[in-house]
Amino acid sequence: MPPLYYLSQEKWRSFLSLLEKDYQIYLPQITGEKGIPCEFGKGLPKADFKLAKYVSSKISELTFNPYRTIEPLKTFYTFPKEKLTSVDREERVAIIGIKNCDLFSLKIQDYVFLKGVVSDPFYKKRRENTLIISGDCSAFKEVCFCLGMEINPFPEEGFDLNLSFLDDGFLIESGSQKGEEIIEKGRDIFPLASAEKISLREKKREEIVRKLSEHINLHNLPPLKTLQKIVKEGFDSPIWQEEALRCVECGGCNFSCDTCHCFLLSEDRFGSAHEQVRLWDACLYANFAKVAGGANPLRYRYQRLRNRYLKKFDFFPENVGLVACCGCGRCIEVCPAKIDIRNVLRKLSIECGIERV
Amino acid sequence: MENPYQPIKAVVEDIILETSTIKTFVLRPEKELSFQTGQFIELSYPGWGEGPFTPSSDPWVKEKIEVTIMNVGRLTSKLHLLNVGEVVGIRGPYGKGYPLDRFVGKDILIVGGGVGLAPLRSLLFSLFSEMDKYNKVVLRYGARSPKDIVYKDSLPRWGKKEKVDVVVTVDVGEGNWKGNVGLVTTILKDLPLEINNAVAVVCGPPIMMKFSTLKLLDLGFKHKDIYLSMEKNMSCGLGKCGHCRLGKYYVCRDGPVFNYENIKDIHDIWD
Ligand SMILES: Cc1cc2nc3c(=O)[nH]c(=O)nc-3n(C[C@H](O)[C@H](O)[C@H](O)COP(=O)(O)OP(=O)(O)OC[C@H]3O[C@@H](n4cnc5c(N)ncnc54)[C@H](O)[C@@H]3O)c2cc1C
Ligand code: SF4
Ligand code: SF4
Ligand code: FES
Repeated sequence: MPPLYYLSQEKWRSFLSLLEKDYQIYLPQITGEKGIPCEFGKGLPKADFKLAKYVSSKISELTFNPYRTIEPLKTFYTFPKEKLTSVDREERVAIIGIKNCDLFSLKIQDYVFLKGVVSDPFYKKRRENTLIISGDCSAFKEVCFCLGMEINPFPEEGFDLNLSFLDDGFLIESGSQKGEEIIEKGRDIFPLASAEKISLREKKREEIVRKLSEHINLHNLPPLKTLQKIVKEGFDSPIWQEEALRCVECGGCNFSCDTCHCFLLSEDRFGSAHEQVRLWDACLYANFAKVAGGANPLRYRYQRLRNRYLKKFDFFPENVGLVACCGCGRCIEVCPAKIDIRNVLRKLSIECGIERV
Repeated sequence: MENPYQPIKAVVEDIILETSTIKTFVLRPEKELSFQTGQFIELSYPGWGEGPFTPSSDPWVKEKIEVTIMNVGRLTSKLHLLNVGEVVGIRGPYGKGYPLDRFVGKDILIVGGGVGLAPLRSLLFSLFSEMDKYNKVVLRYGARSPKDIVYKDSLPRWGKKEKVDVVVTVDVGEGNWKGNVGLVTTILKDLPLEINNAVAVVCGPPIMMKFSTLKLLDLGFKHKDIYLSMEKNMSCGLGKCGHCRLGKYYVCRDGPVFNYENIKDIHDIWD
């Protein structure tokens, strides 16, 4: 195991000053309370966090998010709408408070934008210019089901630095060369962590896993290894139609999802010139698959809802060996039609005759 | 920085009127553009969008590229209004072409419908230029009416070539048409080829591809000997935007030409 260091609460600002020299920092801020009313959600925290630009002079209180933020991590790498011209002026960004669900999603986004026929230069540049400072989850929302996707609520890879919140400070560890360099630069702020603190972190990790598993069990989520089979065998299931009846085609599930990546190339007029732009697209939109002459293989809403699941639980496992869902539950929180991915998967699995193990 | 979304410019050098709704554009790209037969390009006109089209010209000719385009909507209607000398944008080529190496020593049946003959013309040029490698080329083409036949001058010429057999049909005969009348499937009989040593290549509207494929299977073609050009909505052409998914494939990346064996079990492939 790489060495673990200790960052006390008093040294938090020194840590930010160290980062601030090279990066624009984004920090979690509390934005309100929405929460999902749910019979299993009693007593779970409802506060929402979002990432905000850190300006050292303005922020009085420092918050560390106990669970993921409302915006998906992808918003740092592709934008709802962006010009596809030059990437030269991209700033260097340090994001604090990324959770393991979002780190998992980054693998999917990396596959899409970095691998394949060509790698996307815009994504690549932003990826290189970003420092990811992740953190262990110390609580979870009603909609969280990372463990159901076999993703732990604490990061083990894919970060530059990871912070594990202990009651009076953090354990800090590096997971990359970039992280290593920061630890090196800040050796006077981070002493090596004591064995006591390290075992406290283990206890906290075990504790959150236990609580979260109990919560997810209430939802009866089918096991990860059955999901591909469930969506394929359920192709003709009436469940798609039942669920899609309520869909209002807002695309919120797609836009809030940290693994959804579809986009549309289009153009905008800037003065007299036309420039290429990229827009996030949503497979729940009616014209997503429409071709010339009006033919549309995803003509009906139920076909588009089903498409979303087939893409996540069949296409991605076939192509990457991973499901394209990290269990962040953002699509559940955002859907005005209350279409809940956990319910859809559970219903399909029951219909398929798959018992929970 | 190499920007894969940035088109290169191409000048329209000539425009050939094929039918009232189909034109062939001869384009000269600012940089040489080499493609394999069956690959496609993204063609754009500023302010009118971008769309996937398959070059219909001979891939050996590098400095010019021809595309045969049917006027069906926004972009294509604008393209049909272009004059010689105007400039369009091109990205690509993208996708995988026809697997010519698998056609060596075979009888090659080519079935086209409507503007679907465009990519097939490029394939024919490739085959004709190395005809000693192949046994025989059998072309079966269907258009809606005599007026809708593309490459009208070329078809009879191709039919006179050695080891090449061409039959054309129209859905509805008009005027002094003395040729075959009926869907393309009606001319898929008594084919002058050895089915056990043949491959079939089909391109056309989805419904035509569906019934042609069923007919070919009836005739004894094996799944693995049938190649289909799948049309899907496309945006990026690079396997990234997600629009063209077909089962576990992206049509732009893994196609547009597919071996039927690989896609036959995917739901709703003809929709
Ligand atoms: C691999 C491939 C090769 C093709 N080759 C040819 C060819 O050689 N000749 C030819 O005439 N046609 C070809 N087509 C079809 C051609 O791409 C469409 O006819 C054309 O994109 C229609 O554009 P439009 O704006 O005129 O039509 P509209 O119906 O007005 O289209 C409106 C919008 O729908 C979307 N759209 C419609 N059809 C498609 C499509 N097929 N793919 C992506 N988006 C679409 C676009 O976003 C477009 O802006 C090919 C299609 C594919 C997938
Ligand atoms: S499908 Fe829903 S739960 Fe899964 S990653 Fe996307 S937003 Fe999160
Ligand atoms: S968030 Fe809900 S209502 Fe909106 S498109 Fe997705 S499924 Fe439909
Ligand atoms: S067209 Fe974008 S993935 Fe195929």
